[in-house]
Amino acid sequence: MGKNIAKSREQEPYWRRILDASLPVDLSYIPIGLACGILLNASGFNVWTTLMVSVMVFSGGAQFLIASLLATSAPMYSVILMMFFLELRYALLGSSLSKYLHGQSLGFTALFAASMNDENYALNYLKFSTDKKFTPKEALHVEHMTLAFWTVSNIIGSLIGSAIHIDLTIVHFALTALFLYMIVVQLKNGLIILICILSGFLAAYFMVLTKSTLGLVLSTLAASFIGFMAEASIRKYFPDSSLLRHIKNPAGSPEDVDE
Amino acid sequence: MEWNTTQHVWLILGCFCVAFAPRLIPLMFFRTRKIPNWFNEWMRYIPVSLFTALVVKDIFITPDYVVSVVNRAPEMIAAVIVIGIAYWTRSMAISVVLGLCAVFLLAMVV
Repeated sequence: MGKNIAKSREQEPYWRRILDASLPVDLSYIPIGLACGILLNASGFNVWTTLMVSVMVFSGGAQFLIASLLATSAPMYSVILMMFFLELRYALLGSSLSKYLHGQSLGFTALFAASMNDENYALNYLKFSTDKKFTPKEALHVEHMTLAFWTVSNIIGSLIGSAIHIDLTIVHFALTALFLYMIVVQLKNGLIILICILSGFLAAYFMVLTKSTLGLVLSTLAASFIGFMAEASIRKYFPDSSLLRHIKNPAGSPEDVDE
Repeated sequence: MEWNTTQHVWLILGCFCVAFAPRLIPLMFFRTRKIPNWFNEWMRYIPVSLFTALVVKDIFITPDYVVSVVNRAPEMIAAVIVIGIAYWTRSMAISVVLGLCAVFLLAMVV
């Protein structure tokens, strides 16, 4: 049965496979993109500037921030500065994907970087770490598929303006659920669970401390480095520790191929 | 102060620069260089740490960067439901869709 599914997947057209791979993000981008377009419209953006910002910035969090800061008439340099702190975490995404994108051309790297964000990174990271045949080109097309859904939703939102009302906090939970899913599939041993809990507390502490999303960057750097050091020490001094033992997976999904 | 379209365009270009640089620089740096082993081992912990931080931000941190659980009961309960669904089904689509349904229904009840 598994073989049949694999075979029928091979026969699917290429764009269909990319769409399937990116569908969870595509679908959650529709309501969030609409809401974002509506908010940008309310803060004075027209259809063309909405198109421009959704293609060039392509980050839900950043675009919501732009909309809310324009509503409070903050000076331009402060909007851009806040944007810088918000987008700094993408450096971490790039670093953790770098081993899969090693040796690609300059143009490809720039194009890939331009439309990478939290959500399509989540999709691509999972694909790269579970599917050995997944190529950088496919990853780029996954990015562009999510970008297409995001941009179209933004523009429709901008066009319908304030005619409909969307409860943002509820819609935003689609992305929270996506990140929760990503966490759960990566919890492969006790140490990762401990690091995950530690990261949660560090994130709250650093965000309150810095009063900005710079806290996200600091807590991620700290928690991941502690995880890396802890794993190295446990392997060295307690090689039989139960912390590194694999946790059984109830659904029996494929194991990581890159270890 | 009402901004005009020219200012919006400049704002977008500025935002593009600060958004593009952090995305590009690490990928450019490691494009041709050999990536050290310890760096790859460190980077393996980045996704789980970052996603946890994003979830904590979404659920427990207010827009003014204060930790708060006021009115967050629907999201907190729905988060537990999503963790359960993700653990048992391992399906991203089912987790997201049922999570959205859960938070929508809980927001009406709680």
